[in-house]
Amino acid sequence: MSKKKKNSHSRRKALVGAKYIKQKRKKANKAAEPVISISAQDRENTEIDVPLQPGKKEVLKQKRAAMNTAIALTNVIVFGAILGCGFVYLSFFKHETKSDEENRYLAEFPDFSLASYINGDYTEGIADYFDDTVHGRSTIKKFIADKIMPLKGKAYGEDEVELHGAAFDHSSSPVRETLQPTTAAVTTAAPTEATTVPVSGTESASQSATQTAVTTQPVTNTTVEPTHETEAPAENQDDMNAADGEVTNNILIVNNRGITLYGGGCGNETQYAEYLNEYKQALPDVNVYSMVLPTSSSFYLPDKYKNLAASEKDDFDRMGEAFKDVKYVDAYSALEKHTDEPIYSRTDHHWQPLGAYYAAQAFAEAAGVPFPELSAYEKIVLPGYVGSLYNFTQSSKLSNNPEDFVIYKPKNQLKVTQYDTSFHNPQEIGIINDPKYLASSGYYMAFGADNRIAHVQSDCKNGRTLVIFKDSYGNALLPVLANSFENIYLCDIRYFDLNAASFIKEVGATDLLFSMCSYSAVGVNRKNIYNNLHK
Amino acid sequence: MIFSRLFFIYLFLPVCLLTYAAARGIKQKNTVLIIFSLIFYAWGEPVYVLLMLFSAFVNYSAGLLIGRYRGQKGDTIATASAVIFDFLMLGVFKYSGFIAENVNALFSCSLPVPDIKLPIGISFYTFQTVSYVIDCHWEKVEPQKKFSKYLLYLSLFPQLVAGPIVRYSTIEKEIDDRTITVADVSYGLNRLALGLAKKVLIANQLSLIVDNTLGNIATSTTVGAWYGAAAYGLQIYFDFSGYSDIAIGLGRIFGFHFDENFRHPFMCKDITEFWQRWHISLSTFFRDYLLYVPIFGKRRKYGGLFLVWLCTGIWHGASWNFIFWGLYYGVFVFIEMQIGKKRMKKIPVVIRHIYSKIVIIVGFGIFYFEDLGQLGKFFRTIVGIDASGLIGIQDKISLTNNMYLLILAVVCTFPVIDGIKKLAGRNYAAKSAISSAAVVCSAILLVLTSIMLVDATTNPFLYFRF
Repeated sequence: MSKKKKNSHSRRKALVGAKYIKQKRKKANKAAEPVISISAQDRENTEIDVPLQPGKKEVLKQKRAAMNTAIALTNVIVFGAILGCGFVYLSFFKHETKSDEENRYLAEFPDFSLASYINGDYTEGIADYFDDTVHGRSTIKKFIADKIMPLKGKAYGEDEVELHGAAFDHSSSPVRETLQPTTAAVTTAAPTEATTVPVSGTESASQSATQTAVTTQPVTNTTVEPTHETEAPAENQDDMNAADGEVTNNILIVNNRGITLYGGGCGNETQYAEYLNEYKQALPDVNVYSMVLPTSSSFYLPDKYKNLAASEKDDFDRMGEAFKDVKYVDAYSALEKHTDEPIYSRTDHHWQPLGAYYAAQAFAEAAGVPFPELSAYEKIVLPGYVGSLYNFTQSSKLSNNPEDFVIYKPKNQLKVTQYDTSFHNPQEIGIINDPKYLASSGYYMAFGADNRIAHVQSDCKNGRTLVIFKDSYGNALLPVLANSFENIYLCDIRYFDLNAASFIKEVGATDLLFSMCSYSAVGVNRKNIYNNLHK
Repeated sequence: MIFSRLFFIYLFLPVCLLTYAAARGIKQKNTVLIIFSLIFYAWGEPVYVLLMLFSAFVNYSAGLLIGRYRGQKGDTIATASAVIFDFLMLGVFKYSGFIAENVNALFSCSLPVPDIKLPIGISFYTFQTVSYVIDCHWEKVEPQKKFSKYLLYLSLFPQLVAGPIVRYSTIEKEIDDRTITVADVSYGLNRLALGLAKKVLIANQLSLIVDNTLGNIATSTTVGAWYGAAAYGLQIYFDFSGYSDIAIGLGRIFGFHFDENFRHPFMCKDITEFWQRWHISLSTFFRDYLLYVPIFGKRRKYGGLFLVWLCTGIWHGASWNFIFWGLYYGVFVFIEMQIGKKRMKKIPVVIRHIYSKIVIIVGFGIFYFEDLGQLGKFFRTIVGIDASGLIGIQDKISLTNNMYLLILAVVCTFPVIDGIKKLAGRNYAAKSAISSAAVVCSAILLVLTSIMLVDATTNPFLYFRF
């Protein structure tokens, strides 16, 4: 027992001793500190008997702390620099005003009003303005498409497939019949149509070409925020901009070609036919034709992916069966023969003017009117064309593989007058806008805007007057049909403020053609056909 | 105003930070923060900012009354009135439409369904006011005497709109006394960059997958539905935890230390653990203020449990699917309670992981579909009863097109940064190498995020839920 006690006592003593030594060392360190600092500055006068060992640790600690602070400070400075540069860039660099690829004006600084402040539009508008008009926007967007987006994954299979939007197998879906047509569900910021058409050859043409866009509200990135306190998105497709209805947001890129996946009419195709039947009933003396145009979905999907789109041909056939005294023009077969030629744009949701030529040929045959050879046209090639599908998909596969946009311009002189959508304010224009004065080689830039009525008078004195009701696909028909009728009136189903039947009678039409792409015929746009007759 | 836009990052924030740095003394700094917080909130809610101020005033006054009548009847009355006021406010602005619709449907009457726009962040700040009042009542905190300080707590813009639900006790001391070190600011900025990157680089991109899969459930394959729900879970995680990162980071820059809101929830082995890691500030709120409310008598353990889960569901939104979602988790937590912790641990880890991930993924499916018809279709699709096949070529294309994004997202659900820090251990050189690398990485993330935000304004695939 006593031994144990002794042991523990001596241990305690030893401990105390150790503590004492430690404390002594600490004191010594404290006393030594200034000496060490002298030693760094003035080595010769420094005493050597300073206990350097523990001091080193202290110095190291200090050094590390200084290092940590230095790293943190560097971080703060780097961030400060980035935020500062961003501030200068966003505030003082020239704000962009329009986007050529998106074919729209960018957001403008909002005007203040009490009402706009109260409902939040004013403040949001300011934020939108700064976000939307960043200097060098299109270069930055191209950088995203080229360098960042490809990091998400790989293209699929040998055909280098990218899917933008949704798709499903139309052959295996058990609910296909109950589906609303996906063609109607346009959820894209589709190309906003041109509002003014530059008069070719004039000084102001290039300037006005830059104004051929409609301002759309920029869409801020939707935040699926944990709040769940954002407003529900619009569910009513009819509320969407009518200009949109000719394209779907489901796009497959195969072999560097963008293809909008046709979702199927799901019954709407027969409704379209019924609307046209009504026109025929209202206008018994007028020849009524329907030439619904297939999209590239019908011709360029490799077999492996065929089922991802519904059959446009089947829908056309069903329309054909439902027509009563409306003449069905088979553009599908006409185009099918020429699929190895560039009849569709690879980068745009439209066709190419060559496709329009072949379709127009089929219509001219059906209508029994003359139709000039391709040699009667001046071929204008606009190289480096990247169309709307790039804007929708932001895919570098499209932006890095531009195509030629080829226009066929009638060689003879034609008198073209454009009116507003109420058939007022006539203005003489060219049949095709002069590419020399165009800001970009876009589809709309070449053919002009949708929201107008165009009237072409030609030397073809066959006494036939044609009214075309169309979507933007139909714009390309005007130059190639111009010499087949004495008069042509080109009207857009979406931008028409008159009663269609009265207008057709007023201009003395002998023929009436409905020509639009499949999406417009079975999607939301078809309702305009009905509405135009009942205005 | 939301964090993930250029206007906030490069205009609002620099001006706010500079003003804050220029302000001398805690009083000035607090004033700067209140002003910027009110501007921040009023930017999106020019009118409802008044509602927030009113709510702040009512609860602040209740706090004062509780302090004055401590232990007396007045204390209870003030507490009860304030809590009732808070929930009434939430009820009117968030649930009145939902309640009216359901009453109409149930009793086939035609009450007018009020069309009230939801004030941003009301669920978050109301819970903060409730927690404050109850904490005052329970004498956990001293009632704040100055309105401006209480307002600072409530309106502090980093956490005002989307949490975390910060308790008054967390920042009580820091309102009056806080030191901001360079290290704090540096940490805060890194956290900000990380949060923005989570939201913009990962969540926003995942949302495209979700729109195209769950958004088209009518034609989805079985794999497509699972893929979509999993992507949605990841999206919500990166969106929400990114937001929390930004909040915590900004808070730190201003000298506040908020609690963590997420701790890698997908690492969980069971559902109970999931909720200990997911939206922690909400689950702890319910745990502390609701779970042991003595309204169920002896059965309060289970009664309280289901009440908590019911409330968790309702809190997320005025829609039936959120209620089902909450109860759905309640059922699994209940089952796990019945099995018991010890026996749960005996189940092989792999099986527990698989079980919990399946439950969570299906849970996010419920969370997504507000339309119950579509929710039913989702359930049928994931079990293969009513699907357009098991897997389609569109699924394969999408999986391939988004392969690296998905891998990155999954990897980032693990504590990667903590792991790297752990690797360095006590090696100082390695540690400083990591913090130096963090400087570069954060800068790259911030620049990348900013570049991506240039395009976010015209994201061509708008978010339309059917």
